[in-house]
Amino acid sequence: MNDLDARLLAAHAAHDLPALVALNREAADAADTEAARGFYLTHAHVFALEMGHPDTQVLRAALIAMGRETPL
Amino acid sequence: MTHTDLSAVRQPIGMAHGLPNAHYVDPAVFEEERAALLTSGWSGLAVAADVPEPGDAVPLTFLGMPLLLIRDRAGEVRVFHNICRHRGMILVDAPRKIEGAIRCPYHSWCYSTEGRLVSTPHVGGPGKNTAEGIDRDLLGLIEVHSHIWLGVVWINLSGTAPPFHEANADLLARWSEFDKPLFHGGPDSRFQLTVNCNWKLAVENYCESYHLPWVHPGLNSYSRLEDHYHIEEPGRFSGQGTRVYRQLTGDDGKTFPDFADLDPKWDTAAEYITAYPNVLLGVHRDHAFAIILVPHGPGQTVEHVHLFYARPDTDPALRAKNTAQWKTVFKEDIFVVEGMQRGRHTPGFDGGRFSPAMDGPTHLFHDWVAEHMARHRARYKAAE
Repeated sequence: MNDLDARLLAAHAAHDLPALVALNREAADAADTEAARGFYLTHAHVFALEMGHPDTQVLRAALIAMGRETPL
Repeated sequence: MTHTDLSAVRQPIGMAHGLPNAHYVDPAVFEEERAALLTSGWSGLAVAADVPEPGDAVPLTFLGMPLLLIRDRAGEVRVFHNICRHRGMILVDAPRKIEGAIRCPYHSWCYSTEGRLVSTPHVGGPGKNTAEGIDRDLLGLIEVHSHIWLGVVWINLSGTAPPFHEANADLLARWSEFDKPLFHGGPDSRFQLTVNCNWKLAVENYCESYHLPWVHPGLNSYSRLEDHYHIEEPGRFSGQGTRVYRQLTGDDGKTFPDFADLDPKWDTAAEYITAYPNVLLGVHRDHAFAIILVPHGPGQTVEHVHLFYARPDTDPALRAKNTAQWKTVFKEDIFVVEGMQRGRHTPGFDGGRFSPAMDGPTHLFHDWVAEHMARHRARYKAAE
């Protein structure tokens, strides 16, 4: 398990939504395939939606640009 | 199913009998009444003060159904079935603030506080959040028709009742002077009583003043039986009023502020009405209360009591005194409603007879029950 995985697990365990948004974005940035990037961005977007994160629309727009989401 | 015979209930009061035992003790009749009486019209669920701020969400169970009371982002109170449209998972399992969206804890489908489905993660495969056939516009939370009046959240679960203001037009007109902002007194102005009786017995007892001198001698010391009058609107609502309401005073002699612009009759009048089926209401010049009856099966009811005032800044000590006073009164009623419930296990009890002079409001409730049961049975038969 790498350090990012460990931090994601800790954030899940703590239900730390800001951390879940940030860490999934970090994972998306580090992803080496588009599929993996889409996966992590999806998680970042969902947790952003849940907490009303100011970057929710930015994350959604990124998914829309990848053809993985639709506008509200 | 063999139906109970309600023909005797619908007779004029001098000849009528009360509802048969089965309406108090039989699970099958309870289920029949659930559809006929409790979900077909406007029932009380909660108070708007349960969700004071946008995003406040409270899960509730009403007649076994998981519901979600929420104040949406725009400030409107809404009621939803508390389940995800995906796998029927419970969405919110404890009162909390929804900061952004309601996320299902199972597969993370997300809903806005207005009930709109806004995200379906991985629904088209990993990282693909749309899928053919998954039309989010058709998969929002299932909303229950709701309406706020006198601080109470009323719901129509069947979705077939006329609008609240039409269904309760006569009651709204009678108490139009109280149709103004009411301020819940807060944590010191709410309490619950769990009573081992069918919900209807709480209604029946509330409707009449006949029992006051025997069960509430403290009330009777200043508000005598002859000071009361019946409130009788066949097929709509019933209750009783008093002409000698006396304001509560604090140790400093102060009273609660009055509701604005009341007719002078309210200087000494107070009225107590059951909004059929399950909300017991009381209005006075300086406060109002609502008792929402939540049935938990045929033989148990939880009474959710809430007190409201004309202003948000009433004296806490006086509020506490008022709550305590009403709690004493409502607790005095427990032994009679529980005693009548135990009495309903007597084989051959014929529903009892009514005092033609004193039981009119209670008989009207029985008549309303019988009428709605007949309508329900007719619909059920037509659908067969």
